[in-house]
Amino acid sequence: MTLIADRPGPGAARPYRFPPVVRRAVAGGQVVAAHLPGQNLAVALLLLDVGAGQEPVGKEGLSGVLAKALEEGTAQRDAAAYALAVEGLGTALSTGLDWDSFQASVVIPVDRLSAAVELLAEAVRTPRLDPADVRRVRDDEATALRMDWANPGPRADAALRAELFGAQNRWGRPMHGDPESVAGLDVEDVTVFHSEWFLRPGTLIVAGDLDRIDLDALAAAAFAGTGGGPAERGGPIEVPLHSGRRIILVDRPGSVQSTLRLGHPSPHRAHPDHVPMTLAGTVLGGAFTSRLNHLLREVHGYTYGIRGDFAASRRFGRFAVSSGVQTAVTAPALVEAVGEITRTQANGVTEDELEVARSWRAGQLSVELQSPRAIASALTTLVVHDLPDDYHARLRESLLSADVEQVSAAAATHLHPEALTLVIEGDAAAIRADLESTALGTLLP
Amino acid sequence: MPDSGYPWPIQTSRLDNGLRVVVSEDRTAPAVAVNLWYDVGSRHEPAGQTGFAHLFEHLMFEGSVNVAKTEHMKLIQGSGGSLNATTNPDRTNYFETVPAEHLELALWLEADRMGGLVPALTQETLDNQRDVVKNERRQRYENVPYGDAWLRLLPLLYPPGHPYHHATIGSMADLNAADLATFQAFHQTYYAPNNAVLTVVGDATASDVFALADKYFGALPARDDIPPAPGGRNVPATGQTAVESVSADVPAPRVYIAHRSYPFGSPGYNVITVLATVLGSGRGSRLYQRLADGERIAQPDLVGAYGVDLAHAPAPLIATATARPGVSAERLAEGLADVVDELATVPVTAAELDRAKALLSTGWWRQLSTVDGRADLLGRYATQFGDPARIADQLPALLAVTAEQIAEAAADVLATDRVTLTYLPEETS
Repeated sequence: MTLIADRPGPGAARPYRFPPVVRRAVAGGQVVAAHLPGQNLAVALLLLDVGAGQEPVGKEGLSGVLAKALEEGTAQRDAAAYALAVEGLGTALSTGLDWDSFQASVVIPVDRLSAAVELLAEAVRTPRLDPADVRRVRDDEATALRMDWANPGPRADAALRAELFGAQNRWGRPMHGDPESVAGLDVEDVTVFHSEWFLRPGTLIVAGDLDRIDLDALAAAAFAGTGGGPAERGGPIEVPLHSGRRIILVDRPGSVQSTLRLGHPSPHRAHPDHVPMTLAGTVLGGAFTSRLNHLLREVHGYTYGIRGDFAASRRFGRFAVSSGVQTAVTAPALVEAVGEITRTQANGVTEDELEVARSWRAGQLSVELQSPRAIASALTTLVVHDLPDDYHARLRESLLSADVEQVSAAAATHLHPEALTLVIEGDAAAIRADLESTALGTLLP
Repeated sequence: MPDSGYPWPIQTSRLDNGLRVVVSEDRTAPAVAVNLWYDVGSRHEPAGQTGFAHLFEHLMFEGSVNVAKTEHMKLIQGSGGSLNATTNPDRTNYFETVPAEHLELALWLEADRMGGLVPALTQETLDNQRDVVKNERRQRYENVPYGDAWLRLLPLLYPPGHPYHHATIGSMADLNAADLATFQAFHQTYYAPNNAVLTVVGDATASDVFALADKYFGALPARDDIPPAPGGRNVPATGQTAVESVSADVPAPRVYIAHRSYPFGSPGYNVITVLATVLGSGRGSRLYQRLADGERIAQPDLVGAYGVDLAHAPAPLIATATARPGVSAERLAEGLADVVDELATVPVTAAELDRAKALLSTGWWRQLSTVDGRADLLGRYATQFGDPARIADQLPALLAVTAEQIAEAAADVLATDRVTLTYLPEETS
């Protein structure tokens, strides 16, 4: 026999050490940095305390239009000159938005970091926001969203979100808005939002070789001309569960697959069950080896993949499952998925599965220690959720020590198969009758 | 900035059975990347067997002599690792990044499926993964607007019988016809140690890796009659342009212009890489400045140009733009062609060249910022050019490209055999 039959055990575990974190108050803002000695690349990320949650209802997508408009010229130079200046350094301004925060960042060889941060600050703090440019960017963003919404997924996501959280609330509408909400924005919406939120200092996050980086100089550039305090965050939002499952059919005529989005509300990020919930979600749907993917992909071949997880922001959270399944098996795929969620809620997890889930989540923390980008992202988590410097080391310990009883209890408490909303974006004519005959829930008109 | 494009150590070894082993030690993070490049891809597939190399990649996760079905994933994820595999026309690669103490497990798993897949392969597994791959095809190519552009471009760029003529995902008809014996033979033919490169990057020493590689892979037999893929390095120009227009359920007109350029790894392809960056990467690129910002006929997020890194024949160079509302496909196609053609007539300025090189340089370091990024590139250079150390020359070669070389390459590549693919929104009732 040429193969070795015995599976090798692990070698001696390497210690987990999150890089040293430096926190400093400079020039009215906060700096949070991680030292990565010898690293040639660096990341600087300006984190502003304004997320999609601060956009007024009816103005969804405002931050996205503003983010694009930042690069349409600044107090110092026009759009083409700005693009050439940034890209001439070898970087690009990268922006991102979630429910709690807005970020603008650059990834660049460390010797050019300070020039890049100056340009980043120039765009964020002193954009020209010429009305004609803002209108053009708005129209382009509306078009870009129409392009995106022609793909399967966004319409189903929006339908699920509205049903879970209520379309009368900002958090019941798409995080990045929809084509209509963006098309309806006017110039003043954008300029007012900028002056209200983008001139507060925020936090500068830096990951790189701090021996080659002058944090004070970066901070002075990032916080120049800013003022005002952090936003009022508001407490967790109580979101009621529905009684009884609901089915929403979003028509996509001729679709060869049905796009599935199943979900219900779940606790906010600071909930004490965060770790056991994460692990329960991992066993059910968070990894390739999880129950849902095993059943629907590896046993039935209904799909290329299916995922489910709990996700949480400061004020609210949701449990959701997403997949694309062949049109002809839409109904049986839903029955299997709901069945697996129901079994997990009722019977909990096994030690065998939990061992994989906890090792995977904990091990990923080690694997993610490599790149400046990943470290900057970890620092962002610390800032957004007010977590201590040793959070990731502590998280690792709590993942590894979570037991079957705790994780099963989290599944029992936080999974609500009877309150799921099932959104199916697919060929309604081909699947409606099958869906009605499943008795999975009430098909909404 | 370091002078070399690869300021980490590279050590290599070759086992008696021909398996090449590449190690690049880096103790920064307690993680290690394991990457296997097999020198087999969809270019090896005969007519009637399109999609087989990729479907086979799926089967490699479904168990082997000492590993039960789905256990591979479970063991890697249960060690805290992440894993995947990809197939393209050139090659198939399998990779995992694990906390360093699980290196030996990863090597054991890879050796077991290199040497012991066939006895574990069942009809049931094949039928299951055939369904999974058909769903992958639906999800990635059939159910998304413009999703089949690549499937349409390849046969326009490469003649029938050329190894790049068909797409890696294959046809539904061929996938339906796939039988078990073909896959057993496929493994026996191509999954031999002398047809693979094992690369390990990260928290491990070369001597340990060489010893472990010998322990787990050393007894696997070499195969001395691995058939080469059909030739195709030279594709004679036809002097013909190819134009295809598709009416489909798409939200706006889109145009692709494509040419065959030079094989990845050749000096000419380095020039094409810089050329594509000047043409289509970023807001300072010609396409953005001219079509998105200047004439405002293209959507700003959807202009771009890129080479596809294929090494065994002249690689595709593709430029694309999507129309702003109210702009016709004809006007867009004309505008796109004008900007592409000007590469041969309007010299690239020093500022354009510097911008492109700065972007490529940062992109290079970003790719190398992770152990898995490094492992994949080392495996590529070892597999395709016989020497992983060639990786260090890549960035300097890009940075040495001149404006004159770009003009020459543009005149050579863009002058003939243009492929234009246009998507038009179909009339809806």
